Amino acid sequence: MYKINSQSVPSTIIVILALCAVLAGGLALVGGLDIHKTKKSAAEEQAKTQGEQPVANCYESRAIYAAVTRVENAVPQYGYPNIKCSKTTGGVLWYGDPFDGTIPMGEMPEVNDGTHGDFANAVVRPREPHLTYFNMGPNGCVTCHNGKTVPFPKDKKPRLIAMHKDIVEDSIQLKHGRGAMWCLDCHSATNRNKLIDRQGNEISFNQPQRLCGTCHGEVYIDWRAGIHGKRIGTWATGGKKRWWVCTECHNPHTVQINRFNQIKPEPAPPPPRGMKNADYERVGHGVH
Amino acid sequence: MSEKIIEIHIETDDVNESRRDFLKNVGIAGAATLVASPVSVEASADSANPDAETTVAELYQGHFVLMSDKDKKKAIERLEKRYTAKYGKNTTVSDAPPLEGVLFGYALDISKCIGCRRCVHACVQENNQSRDNPVIQWIQVMKIPKGNFSFSADKLNKGYPESSKVGDYGIQVGGNAYTPVGGLSTEEAQSYYSQDEMVPDKNYFYVPVQCQQCEKPPCVKACPVRATFRDPNGVVVIDYNWCIGCRMCQLACPYGARRFNWGEPNLPPEEMNPKTHYFGNRPRMRGVMEKCTFCVQRTREGRNPACLEACPVGARKFGNLLDPESDVRKILAAKKVFRFKEEMSTYPKFFYYIG
Repeated sequence: MYKINSQSVPSTIIVILALCAVLAGGLALVGGLDIHKTKKSAAEEQAKTQGEQPVANCYESRAIYAAVTRVENAVPQYGYPNIKCSKTTGGVLWYGDPFDGTIPMGEMPEVNDGTHGDFANAVVRPREPHLTYFNMGPNGCVTCHNGKTVPFPKDKKPRLIAMHKDIVEDSIQLKHGRGAMWCLDCHSATNRNKLIDRQGNEISFNQPQRLCGTCHGEVYIDWRAGIHGKRIGTWATGGKKRWWVCTECHNPHTVQINRFNQIKPEPAPPPPRGMKNADYERVGHGVH
Repeated sequence: MSEKIIEIHIETDDVNESRRDFLKNVGIAGAATLVASPVSVEASADSANPDAETTVAELYQGHFVLMSDKDKKKAIERLEKRYTAKYGKNTTVSDAPPLEGVLFGYALDISKCIGCRRCVHACVQENNQSRDNPVIQWIQVMKIPKGNFSFSADKLNKGYPESSKVGDYGIQVGGNAYTPVGGLSTEEAQSYYSQDEMVPDKNYFYVPVQCQQCEKPPCVKACPVRATFRDPNGVVVIDYNWCIGCRMCQLACPYGARRFNWGEPNLPPEEMNPKTHYFGNRPRMRGVMEKCTFCVQRTREGRNPACLEACPVGARKFGNLLDPESDVRKILAAKKVFRFKEEMSTYPKFFYYIG
């Protein structure tokens, strides 16, 4: 419902859908402007709960999907801000407080792999505040996907869906699982605020590793052991660490094309003294 | 004959005399500038500058490791006073001792690194490098065409000398000098790739290089005054005040990891990191060497280095090599690991791996 792209969908459909939304949910969605307003107010609500306002141009691992905001004097002892961002790309460069905005990871299920996981002092930054569509309505995705406005699917048979095209261009051509998977393998059919695994257990968007790990067992075990994925904070075993979860680095809908989406790098160092450029690097030199 | 000898004697005497005078004059002039310059520079900047005295005191300070506790305390106080006045921030200079039972190690996954250079700039934010003229960055990210690194079986069998009628000459196994096998060739590596291109480029892989914290560091061997040394945690550090700026260590290092302050470092006060360590990120002066210390000011207090925290893909891992449960030890046990320029026998504690 909130995925309407005014350039690809005729405007009449937008109006009809918007009217439906007004009738069904009582939401003031009349046009693109109002959609933006709703998005903004949702973001403001999030800002109140987190004590900070997300800014699109400052991100951690994935552009757009992990926006963070600089807070001045977060560590008063040294006058540190919580983070320092790159002025050229917006990437987070430096953490004054590595545990800013984090919550405990929670108990992870025991795996009989000998790693046992070092989760006692594990914290994560919750994913849900960063999910665009999750935050568009007061109840998350369920605002639209409540069984009435958007009916629940009758079966799990894959079919073309025109919605959410900015995430998945073509649901039949999902770039994950090489054609063997589709939306409802991971998303719950009846509760869109949750993910769902193959046993039918609902999984929070904050803990995607519990879902991803069911197929990607090798990577999951590496992740539990601390070999795969990013962790910051203390280096000592058993110390407090902030863990990055799967979807903070990887986009599960396009992961088949790119492990990491391409980003812009930080500026290069100046060329060696006395050189106007570093073109000499590009031409072959020495013996081949 | 005797006349000639006398003449020669006179001549040599003259020469010696003049040379001695020359040396004497130079020595006096040099010493004068040495003592006078810091004082005069500071004094001209601000006549009531409180650090004019401390700068002279710093000049006569001994090697930090050999100082008494009392002298150490004094030296730290001097520095804190000077930095606080210069940068307008309440600066702390820690002399936290090395940790017991810890040997620091680092592991970097070259299959994950995307070459975004965030580690480079995170390091600059943390370690108070000169931002401009000279620009100093402790990490260099090399962009290398794929194929320069190989454990593949087909390449392992290449490089043998061809048999001829007169027999086989020489024994060469696994590649040659230009295309080594089982190692990393930096041929056609680009360290200055543009910020306008998107990374990662599918035809390249990226290898960040910083100080490898060698077990047998050639830089330490080369230092004539032992200003650089390996601390008990295995990290090679520098006493910037004891460094004479001869740059022998820079020549000795096979990794190009050392940086020299060719000019007075330019560090804007608003970007200065006021939490420093004596052997780590305290602001340096002109004419001293500096390099990666694994963020000694952080790691001795238990925190991860800044480059690790900045890496957006989690390619960097840091930990205690003596702890079998640490991330680095698990990587050494489970992954394909190599050291950079292993043939130099420097035994780095910085490991590259394929995850």
